[in-house]
Amino acid sequence: MKNKILLGLAAIAMVAVLASCGKKPQAEIDATSAAIAAAQTAEANVYLPGEFAALQDSMNAVNAKIAEVDGKLFKNYKTVVADLAKVKTDAETVTANVAVKKDEVKKEAEGLLNNIKAVVAENAKLLPKLPRGKEGAAVIEQIKGDLNAVDATVAEAQSLFDKGTYMDALNKIKAATDKANSLNAEIKEVLTKARIRF
Amino acid sequence: MHRVWKHILIITPLFVFVALTGLLIFYPVPEPPVGEMAAARVAISNASKKNAGIYSENLFMEAKSSYDSAMSCWGRENKKSRYSRNYGKVSEFASIAAKKALEASNDAENNTANLNLTIREKINELKKTDEDLNQRFSKYPMSTEMRNNISKGEIILAEAEIEWGKGEYFQAQKKLTEVEKLLVPTYEYADANLRSYFRSYPLWKRWADSTIAESRTNQDYSIIVDKFSRKVYVYFNGELQLAYSAELGKNWVGDKRVRGDKATPEGMYEITKKYDGDSTSYYKALQINYPNDEDTALFEAAREKGSLPRSAMIGGMIQIHGNGGKGADWTAGCIAVTNREMDTLFKITRIGTPVTIVGSLRDLRHALKR
Repeated sequence: MKNKILLGLAAIAMVAVLASCGKKPQAEIDATSAAIAAAQTAEANVYLPGEFAALQDSMNAVNAKIAEVDGKLFKNYKTVVADLAKVKTDAETVTANVAVKKDEVKKEAEGLLNNIKAVVAENAKLLPKLPRGKEGAAVIEQIKGDLNAVDATVAEAQSLFDKGTYMDALNKIKAATDKANSLNAEIKEVLTKARIRF
Repeated sequence: MHRVWKHILIITPLFVFVALTGLLIFYPVPEPPVGEMAAARVAISNASKKNAGIYSENLFMEAKSSYDSAMSCWGRENKKSRYSRNYGKVSEFASIAAKKALEASNDAENNTANLNLTIREKINELKKTDEDLNQRFSKYPMSTEMRNNISKGEIILAEAEIEWGKGEYFQAQKKLTEVEKLLVPTYEYADANLRSYFRSYPLWKRWADSTIAESRTNQDYSIIVDKFSRKVYVYFNGELQLAYSAELGKNWVGDKRVRGDKATPEGMYEITKKYDGDSTSYYKALQINYPNDEDTALFEAAREKGSLPRSAMIGGMIQIHGNGGKGADWTAGCIAVTNREMDTLFKITRIGTPVTIVGSLRDLRHALKR
């Protein structure tokens, strides 16, 4: 009889233990949230917006799963922990990919910036060679205006580049490149027409 | 007997306890709306993919906020006893989140489609304005600031097109507003001036017809200078014989008003002097009788009215001369042609050959089509 009573008590104790055995994986939740925050700090939302949105979707799904487990009598966070680990790994991959993508954009912007600077420098070098005197004054004035606009855009692009906003810098450089090249062609045409060597 | 009672006293509470525990475990409790929450998440994710956060910001924020409320409610309900939980609010918020997300998705889709179209149209419209400025008004006298505005506007227009291509419609729109402020007032200024300038067209037409008729009557050469087309036309016996490209003064639009204004005068004149060799710095030159009596009268009247300062002086020494072919309006008001063309003009003209200078031989409609 005594044994039966003990068995019953043991069963009750087991139920109590089972009901409280699953503890919320707060450390994993914090680590995953930190990994996502790191991806955002690395500007994943700018350079890899699709991947970053997928991360947020996954984290939302995990949060819902946590709430679901939280409400159960027998809490088991095993799958939640596995999901959190996956999201964390994905977030770390995205952060690494952002760095690669950012570097690609940086290199592209840097290359184009150097190209346009070379064209701008050549234009500045050719400008004094343009026919002087009242005959060429109007042409020089117009070309100078165009060159100033290109210079201002290049300066803005450089400032964006220095701040690390490579995507915005890239757009500006791309926009100014055509203008700089067409000016270069125009200056060379005027010089050729005036039979001035350059 | 005592033993039986003892059993009863032990077994009954145990039985009650086990029964109650079983009841606690197996008693049906309300289930959270997991499916509805998942549906809301999918709807929000889809809306996000359609950039609803940017192009339907309010609806999207409402959807997200409803989802967050659903999660908060769920958390609160979880803290209650299992049997007193009510997920009705969670379900309600999840349903609102899904509905708003769907609306945001559709709204964003419509907005991006509209923006895509409107911005494309605006880009085309501003490109056309820029093209017109460069084609119709490339040689039109404008201030340095206006020319700089055109250059700046062209670069920002290219930036706007890049943003548009990337689907960054609000960025593109912002840039287009900047472009509009730079290009449109310049275009409007040039257009309004041109229209005002062409009001004199009937007069120019009369002068030109009269000059051609004079050539026919005298069976001689006459010269007509078309400032807008930058052409020098040579007529003989009323028939067009030659057409040369011309370069004018920097401020060629409008009549010459005062010395040093770099404008080319308009009117009916004749050659009064011919220069060649060392007598001119411009290869060869044909001087006309500007200012004639009418020009002098107009100048004096303007000075009297105060539209010109008392110290203003009337211009002179207007010539058709050589050294042209530079591709720009560079003279101080004279008409420049190439030296080879100047040779021909010098040869066929005489003192007294009529030279009529008009704003344009063609009307405004043709000028704008150029």
